[in-house]
Amino acid sequence: MFKILAVDDEQAIRVMLQDFFEDTYDIRVAANGSEALALVRAEDFDLVISDINMPGLKGPELLSEIKKLKPRTKTMLMTAYNVDDYIRMAKEFNISNIIPKTVPFNYDEVGALVDGILTENVFGLERYLLGDGQIAKHYTIKSSEEGNAVREELTRVICEKFGSSGDVKLIVDEIITNAIYHAPARDDGSPKYREYAPVHLDPSEYVHVTWGYDAEKYGVSIVDMQGRLSKETVLYKIDRHVRGEGMLDDSGRGIHMSRLFADRMLINIKPGVKTEVIVMNYLSSGYRGYRPLYINEL
Amino acid sequence: MNGVYLIVIAILAAAAVVLVAALVSVTARYRADVRQRMRAIRDTRHPEKLTPDIEEKIRLSKKQLETTLDAITDLICVIDTDYRIARVNRSYADHVGKSVRDLPSEKCHEAFWGYKEMCTDCPARLTFETGLPGKKSNVLKRVRGEERLLEIEAYAVSDENDRVVNVIEHIRDVTDEKRMNEQLIRSEKLASIGIMTAGIAHEMNNPLSGISGTAVNMLKMPGKFGLNEKGLERVTMILECAARATMIMKDLLRFSQKQETVRLPTDLTALISKAAGTVRIPGGSRIKRTIDVQDDLPKVRCDPSKIEQVFVNVVTNSVQAILEKRRVTDNAAPAGESIHISARSIGDEVRIEITDNGIGIAPGMESKVFDPFFTTKGPGEGTGLGLSICHRIVEEHQGHIAAGSKDGLTTVTIVLPVGKDPWDEAGGQTLVTGKRGAHV
Repeated sequence: MFKILAVDDEQAIRVMLQDFFEDTYDIRVAANGSEALALVRAEDFDLVISDINMPGLKGPELLSEIKKLKPRTKTMLMTAYNVDDYIRMAKEFNISNIIPKTVPFNYDEVGALVDGILTENVFGLERYLLGDGQIAKHYTIKSSEEGNAVREELTRVICEKFGSSGDVKLIVDEIITNAIYHAPARDDGSPKYREYAPVHLDPSEYVHVTWGYDAEKYGVSIVDMQGRLSKETVLYKIDRHVRGEGMLDDSGRGIHMSRLFADRMLINIKPGVKTEVIVMNYLSSGYRGYRPLYINEL
Repeated sequence: MNGVYLIVIAILAAAAVVLVAALVSVTARYRADVRQRMRAIRDTRHPEKLTPDIEEKIRLSKKQLETTLDAITDLICVIDTDYRIARVNRSYADHVGKSVRDLPSEKCHEAFWGYKEMCTDCPARLTFETGLPGKKSNVLKRVRGEERLLEIEAYAVSDENDRVVNVIEHIRDVTDEKRMNEQLIRSEKLASIGIMTAGIAHEMNNPLSGISGTAVNMLKMPGKFGLNEKGLERVTMILECAARATMIMKDLLRFSQKQETVRLPTDLTALISKAAGTVRIPGGSRIKRTIDVQDDLPKVRCDPSKIEQVFVNVVTNSVQAILEKRRVTDNAAPAGESIHISARSIGDEVRIEITDNGIGIAPGMESKVFDPFFTTKGPGEGTGLGLSICHRIVEEHQGHIAAGSKDGLTTVTIVLPVGKDPWDEAGGQTLVTGKRGAHV
């Protein structure tokens, strides 16, 4: 059984996490940084989830201390505040996951993320759908022309089923374009294809798109088989755009806008193997308006 | 944004003061010069020696002074010791609704205020008596049915015996400046309320997350908590209350963020000419840019900086479209390249059309051009976000934007509602005013 530690100065949060996770994991709790450090020194944890704003040691500092003591420990932050405000900090402290404390607390979402991180099994839209959820369709894109057809169809189908496709077309446009034109590279790292030129991809460059839905949301997963994106790049780009520094250039705009337009965006990276971007939109407003940071680099 | 306007105003005010000071010395020097020449002429005892050359010089000098005075948009009035007007600039004459030539020898109080008697708190009186500058602030005057706030300053012009022979009155309309100041204070207050609200809302999120999270656990695992039907009912109630409190918090957050968008009655004429003038792209200077704005265009309630951004974006696109056409047609000597901007009021809306004869929009792409990331430009030339940002901004203003090409002309049409709020009716505020030019 995996062993996890939850750190939060709010007792209600500690207790509720314990109540929820105790049947699945061996969970311990701490009310502040020093309590947490004492526990980490005494025992090995597979994962530490910490609040950001706490008296004394703040979440990011605590996690970086823990990384020094036990480098193999996985870490996540959570916050009731605006995640955008912490992107720079995430970059500095090498944090890749910040969970928003939604109201009501989204156990399904957090449960799926925690499970993914612990088992290092993060790929696949189906992992993030509820029990009743289903994968609606899978596409393999072999050329730019097919890429266009897929985004047209996706937008249309989602619109028909849910009445609106939100900004999903824009996001899918951007991410499929990235996957077709930016992922394949020559040996020297330069882009292999010119943007918007008609291209036929090599079998090793096919882009895989999956979409599905459950009772509360729908989602699209776009996978390229290159795995050239890195967590550091993603954080750098999002950070620049959140601060308004990147408004006038192309670099990272797509990732930033997709994160802005989708209710959830997850980026899974297996370096040199594949990159998956999952975007999800909720059907009701409860879990909207939070923009968490979910990047998993294996 | 307001800060920038304040700085601009401060610079303008400083420039006006410097100008007036210069005027005082120029006028004094001019008078001394004329006196000296007259003396020289008398000394020769040959009045006929006023040669055409000297006459021409005097005429030019006089003309120069007039032009300088008329270029100043503040009101300038030179009065003599009898408080009779010796000279005014064009702004002054326009203000009182008379011609520059009719005013001299009228009493200043009569011309400006319509009073038979001298004003009790005349700032010029002190200057005549002491030679020191006089100043009167916060002077209220009804101008064309509107209350305006004036600031009057008086400067002495002395003869060689240091006797004050004239006083220059410099009258400045500070209404907009004052209002802007008030608006700045108001928006700063709102901003701090906003920051506080956002802080509270986020802080409340933490316990609310705990309350609702615990309640959800209890509902999902009633056995774990020994809950019976009644217990479940109560916990459901707790969850509903937490959800309601969250709704309130979210609304508060939205409200606090909303305060960041300003809505000020704005003169679009100035924004349009500014945008048309600021867009500079290599090769674009030869393009003819014309502006045709209806004279009495109503002010539009909007966020001036955002609307300016819209105009700049659209004009940039027009310039690039023309350059692109020049490139594909290999037209080395471009002739007839033009961008035309017009603005008209139609009902409760203002309609702005920006037309160019550039490369145009491909048929069927009219609606796509507003999609984020849509671009026909090469890498590094544009992000494809320009028009989508315009679209969002215009929508935020409850307006609409459309684009289309026909017969070699591409027109982007922006329609903005004039908009009203109770504050407008109480006087409103013009943040951007056009400057009247003068020919020198």
